[in-house]
Amino acid sequence: MRVFLRYAIRETFSNLWRNRLMTLAAVLTVAVSLTLVGAALMFKQSASQASVVWEQQTKVTVWMSASAKPAEMSSIESQLKVSPYIHGTCVFQTQEQSYQQALILLPEAESSVLRVQDMPSAFLCVPVVPTDASILISTFSGQPGVYRVTAPTKAIHQMQQAIRVAQYVAIALALTLLVSAIVLILNTIRLAIFARRREVSVMKLVGATNWFIRMPFISEGFMQGLFGSLVAVALLVLLHAWYPLSGNEFHLSTQDVVGTSIVVVAVGVLIGSIGSAFAIRRFLDV
Amino acid sequence: MIRFENVSKTYKNGTVALRDVSLNIEKGEFVFLVGSSGSGKTTCLRLLLREESPDAGRILELGRDIGTMPKWRVPYLRRNIGCVFQDFRLLPTKTVFENVAFAQEVIGRPRSTVESQVPQILELVGLADKRNNLPSELSGGEQQRVAVARAFVNRPLVLLADEPTGNLDPTNSEQIMTLLERINKTGTTVVMATHDKGLVDRMRRRVIELDGGELVRDQLRGVYGLDEPAGGF
Repeated sequence: MRVFLRYAIRETFSNLWRNRLMTLAAVLTVAVSLTLVGAALMFKQSASQASVVWEQQTKVTVWMSASAKPAEMSSIESQLKVSPYIHGTCVFQTQEQSYQQALILLPEAESSVLRVQDMPSAFLCVPVVPTDASILISTFSGQPGVYRVTAPTKAIHQMQQAIRVAQYVAIALALTLLVSAIVLILNTIRLAIFARRREVSVMKLVGATNWFIRMPFISEGFMQGLFGSLVAVALLVLLHAWYPLSGNEFHLSTQDVVGTSIVVVAVGVLIGSIGSAFAIRRFLDV
Repeated sequence: MIRFENVSKTYKNGTVALRDVSLNIEKGEFVFLVGSSGSGKTTCLRLLLREESPDAGRILELGRDIGTMPKWRVPYLRRNIGCVFQDFRLLPTKTVFENVAFAQEVIGRPRSTVESQVPQILELVGLADKRNNLPSELSGGEQQRVAVARAFVNRPLVLLADEPTGNLDPTNSEQIMTLLERINKTGTTVVMATHDKGLVDRMRRRVIELDGGELVRDQLRGVYGLDEPAGGF
């Protein structure tokens, strides 16, 4: 066993050095693709964290018409009070408050024509769960005295959709690069096998076992995957250090980075092994 | 030790290499395998190395049926078979010592064994003083002696030689034959395929002749071409 290990390690590193340019290409491709995979994973984690925050902050606003009668107002108020979909009690926003808000939100040219008595008053409600927002919207829309019922669900959905698309693009890119990394690793192993064909034929002749012959080539691919993934982990740590969105709802914890790094190293080692396994099956006749 | 029972072998391209060959070689024998090119000599050796399997018949070697032997056992079979070729097949980047040591390292022999046995075997083939030379710095005869040392260093029970003197001049051929005889005297069975008429006639050992894949002669203390007219090949 000791002889075997010493031999396998020596041969692995001499193979890597002999094909150093191809090795470099393979390692860098693995590194770039895994950095993308890792970045996509980390972004996904931070984005899903952000959506949870957004959804928790989802408020349903029942805007009352400026002309709503007191009876209509109290009808809506009492319905809101008994609704099982509302968490706590709704906050009432007076016409005056709406007017103040409009002054902040709208440019002066537009807000100057507004009058307090034209402004809608509103009930600000928090749904029990974010998905209840749509139930509230359909229940209260169109009731007498109600002007409109709004919730930022659509905006959140669009945001989530955009994030999802960005993730898919990143994953697709990363997968393409992973495939090319496998092919590059396969090719370096193939070169190594070719460079060692005399040794291999002598080994077969004198009765070296198949695993003894294969091992240096398998560990060569393994090493390339490992080195590539370690470079990727280093890049991800840097990315985290320079992460522009830390401090807001996209915050990324160290734990997320560690988890992602573990996945990245596992994938790197896996593709290295897959690449060499293919090369050995195809080009090493043992 | 080696037994062919009605062995036939046809290659994928349709070439019939061996046709219903039966023979028996005892432990410690020295056998010449003769015949023209394409007569099936090399196929015999390849079958004995289990580089090929027979289409029909049985081959017993070292007490095992090697035709039905599972693939993973083949390396262990080969550890008991030494092999020498016409083209030496040495590793050009390794020294004489390393070439011979390689045969021990790759079957997992510990360093101490390698360091005690390789010098011994280099002494036997008369190349102790060239242990640090590369094959390219040696003559053909010397290279073949390194190859014999490599084939014998693991003390195989059988030594197969495929035209080992094919690339050598008479003096070097003679040295190789002396070496093979010494190896044979240690009890190792030697099977040598050859074209060298002079050698076979001089040695007077058992001769098995193949022609077109068929066994046409099996003679103790034979000569190369018994039935050929004088002045023939």
